[in-house]
Amino acid sequence: MSSPSQNPKPDLDESINVTQAHGRVERETAAAAREKRLADNGHEPVSLWMIAACGIVLLIAGGVLGDAGTLFSYDSTFKEGYVRGKAPGGADEGPKPKTALAAYSGKGAKIYSLCSGCHGSTGKGDANYPSLAGSEWVNGDTQKLAMIILNGLQGPTSTGKTYGAGVMPAVGAALSADDLATLMTYIRNGFGNSSGDIVSPEMAQNALDVSAAREKAGQPITAEEIAAKHMIMLPGEPIAPETMVNPISLAPAQ
Amino acid sequence: MSFRTFIFSLSASFGVAWLAIVIVPYIKMRALEPIAMEEGDGTNAVFIPKRAGRIADGAEVYAANGCYQCHTQLVRPTYAGNDMFRPDWGGLQFDEVRGDTRRETNAFDFAGEDFAQIGISRIGPDLSNLGRRIEAIYAKGTEPGQWLFAHLYNPRWKPDRRNSTCPSFRFLFEENEIKGNSSDDALPFPVEEGMEIVPGPDARALVSYLLSLKKDQPVPASLNFGPPEAEAAPAAAPAAPAAAPAEVPAP
Amino acid sequence: MSSQTSPTTEQDAVLSAGIDRSLRHPVMFFLTSAAAWLAVSLILGIISSAKVHSPGFMDGCSWLTYGRTQAAHVNALVYGWGFQAAFGVIVWMLSRLSRQECRASGLILTAGHIWNFGISVGVLGILAGYGTGMSWMEFPAFTWPVMLLAYFAIVIWSFVQFKVRPAGHVYISQWYLMAAMIWFPWVFITANVLLHVMPGNPVMAAGINAWYKSSLIFLFFTPIALGTAFYLTPKVTGRPIHSYSLAKLGFWSLAVIMPWAGMQKLTGAPIPYFLPYVGATATVLFFIPAFTAAVNILRTATADPDVANHSPTLRFTMAGVVGLIVMAVAAVFLNIPGWTMQLSQFSMSGYGFEILALYAFFSFVMFGAIYFIVPRVTRREWLSRRLIKMHFFFSIYGIMIIAIAAIFGGLQQGIGQEAFDQPWQESAAERAVNYGWAITISWCFILFSNIFFFMHLTVMWLRLGRRSMHPTLLVSDHGHGDSPHGGEGHIDNCGPGTASATH
Repeated sequence: MSSPSQNPKPDLDESINVTQAHGRVERETAAAAREKRLADNGHEPVSLWMIAACGIVLLIAGGVLGDAGTLFSYDSTFKEGYVRGKAPGGADEGPKPKTALAAYSGKGAKIYSLCSGCHGSTGKGDANYPSLAGSEWVNGDTQKLAMIILNGLQGPTSTGKTYGAGVMPAVGAALSADDLATLMTYIRNGFGNSSGDIVSPEMAQNALDVSAAREKAGQPITAEEIAAKHMIMLPGEPIAPETMVNPISLAPAQ
Repeated sequence: MSFRTFIFSLSASFGVAWLAIVIVPYIKMRALEPIAMEEGDGTNAVFIPKRAGRIADGAEVYAANGCYQCHTQLVRPTYAGNDMFRPDWGGLQFDEVRGDTRRETNAFDFAGEDFAQIGISRIGPDLSNLGRRIEAIYAKGTEPGQWLFAHLYNPRWKPDRRNSTCPSFRFLFEENEIKGNSSDDALPFPVEEGMEIVPGPDARALVSYLLSLKKDQPVPASLNFGPPEAEAAPAAAPAAPAAAPAEVPAP
Repeated sequence: MSSQTSPTTEQDAVLSAGIDRSLRHPVMFFLTSAAAWLAVSLILGIISSAKVHSPGFMDGCSWLTYGRTQAAHVNALVYGWGFQAAFGVIVWMLSRLSRQECRASGLILTAGHIWNFGISVGVLGILAGYGTGMSWMEFPAFTWPVMLLAYFAIVIWSFVQFKVRPAGHVYISQWYLMAAMIWFPWVFITANVLLHVMPGNPVMAAGINAWYKSSLIFLFFTPIALGTAFYLTPKVTGRPIHSYSLAKLGFWSLAVIMPWAGMQKLTGAPIPYFLPYVGATATVLFFIPAFTAAVNILRTATADPDVANHSPTLRFTMAGVVGLIVMAVAAVFLNIPGWTMQLSQFSMSGYGFEILALYAFFSFVMFGAIYFIVPRVTRREWLSRRLIKMHFFFSIYGIMIIAIAAIFGGLQQGIGQEAFDQPWQESAAERAVNYGWAITISWCFILFSNIFFFMHLTVMWLRLGRRSMHPTLLVSDHGHGDSPHGGEGHIDNCGPGTASATH
């Protein structure tokens, strides 16, 4: 054990005053001297309140752990069988329904960007491109317009005039039935046209079938062929323009 | 208790937990298998959310400036919170093209970052789809980048944000002399004659990162937790069972 | 061992005083630099808390932006104040309990300076814009090996002393302290290697960061404070621990339960689904080791209510243990999934709980230890009981405000956040502002209280404390007027030849 005194042989040192040395030791160790020994063996029993409190917490913890699902299932980062809940209060109803006319036209407007490069954003065209406003082939029976969109046109238009090189490419050749339906509805009801009816996806699908079944499938259509075969309405169940539909899916709204 | 017992018990009690909740999940999640998208379009596409922008640089600026202290980047499933019910946190509820695009955050969403800035608290809103929100709502019709630069420079600029407590990050911007024409991205804040405020490099990186925050892409079926499509056809209609069990229909 | 305590023998006193003397430089260094870092952290805390409700306050300067000052504040509090106070206490207490003088003072002091240098670079790095963005690990990545080496140099001697201790019973405080000394590097190395060195999934990295924070609180600061409280209380009161076997049970329950806690901060994140709920369960179960230890210590202390009233050490320690009870109740209350967990997850409750742990519990016990240790290593007594009282009461006021603001305010904030059909600004953001005011005010109280502490500690460090054989108690001895130095004639003026006062 070490001693605070620097002197290894206090008894032989004559200058040591024992009382002084003892006093110094007392002062220097005063703080340590008044400490109590640590004793560690209290044996009081654990109080019942403590056990009760810990018991309640154990129950709560058990409940929390119950939410954990299968423990140590490292492969699922979501709760098993999780399906999104509905917002409480029913605030989650989806987009507001619109009339079929508005919904179809709205979607068709986006697809019209395929056509606006030539026919213009107002559909009026210019010296080189025919106007869609008031055009005979746009209004009236629907099949002729569908054929032109899907196949392109060669030669003069309904007015007899030949524009530019006289060839319209088949810009809409890859359109789906839904897209074709909305595009046609948009053209027929915009730019000052007012056909007032809807081209349904069913009708558009029939148009796709007819177009594929043409003798000269893949080649642009001509005014003669239109006059001969396509001056009819596309077959299909008509949709009333005021029907309320989901503007995204076009399904009828409840 | 001897020291040996102590060390052994301590190591065992800590080690089991350490392995179970730190080491094993860490190793497992390092090697996440990409999930295949639906085979509907015929391709073998896998779900890899692509983020366009300066993710790494911007994430560094985001981290260094402590944005995670007030903003989170976690859209929680509905069993853990109400984040999915907000109209513009998990995506857009009324997107014009796709309808309801909202979805929960998944493990692939932080690709390109080393550390997912899930965030500490929400003094400000969640940022998982900030890029989408800015483009579709806040800056509709204008440059989203410019909107965000202006917000970072002075968050309390717009009247509806007068009470925002977002700090001003104007120290990320520079004041430069106008040389010839003013820059395209000069900010519309008052500054002395002949000078303009332009974003500094850190501001550009940060804005690029923030605008890339669009976590509402379509997800494969295993990550799509939407309620099943309401089948109009009565699935309960008893069609003739292929292999009829005991019952034999009366002739 | 005797079942009653007895006054220490002279031989013991001489040995203890010798140990204290050998430790004076490292311990005083740690305690004073810890106090200095506490001051830095409190100032940063006030600045950053002010920005929550007054964002125009000192804005525009990149060094003082909220994100950086908040990170710097927390890191200074943890690594500057918390760790260094812990080091001072560890080094002293384990020397005393191993009954060995410290022969590595130079090494420990040097390592302490290196630690300080490392965290100074770290805090400055955060403010200058080089923070890593990982909570409680924002120091630039190169600092962590430096900190780790300094840490080993500081604690290695305590393990050596333990090895060569005289044969006999090992006291509970030694188990607590040594456990903390082993847990910390394990946790620290894991987190830093997995987050800085090896690439992994970014979301799991965030989870490991959350586990790191929780482990620092429950597996470092808590055992250090508990070990300290279990030492100081019998030492000062002279009573044995109320139930020693309960104390051991508390220790092992802490060891078994708490390593599982932490990931509840990532509930709903795309990590393995069970991890956050296991974390929440473990945090709820923290109540058991915490409450049993707290009751144990309080029963030991209040067995002699006179001493408890008079001793500054004991008053701070008991306040700390009451803080532990509040922390334990908060741990249960804030982590119940489906009820409070989603409310507290991203609100001020998280910060408030951390401050409860770091200040209401850990810091108060450390203050108690400092009021006990400093007179022994400097051989001077505290100058003024008034300074001690000011320190105590204003800290209590401050921490009570934080506890209430954090727990209830955080839940209110969470309710506003979860109100998904309300606009964000009104329902969620503005609630935060009000509680921001509460936090700023409470940090101001705490800074005010600690100014008295800093002054007092500086005076002691300069060895200007009073030379006396009588401790500075909160109530004057013998009822003789208000003099903290006791009645007339009890002051001795040191030096050889002076007649020593009677006990």
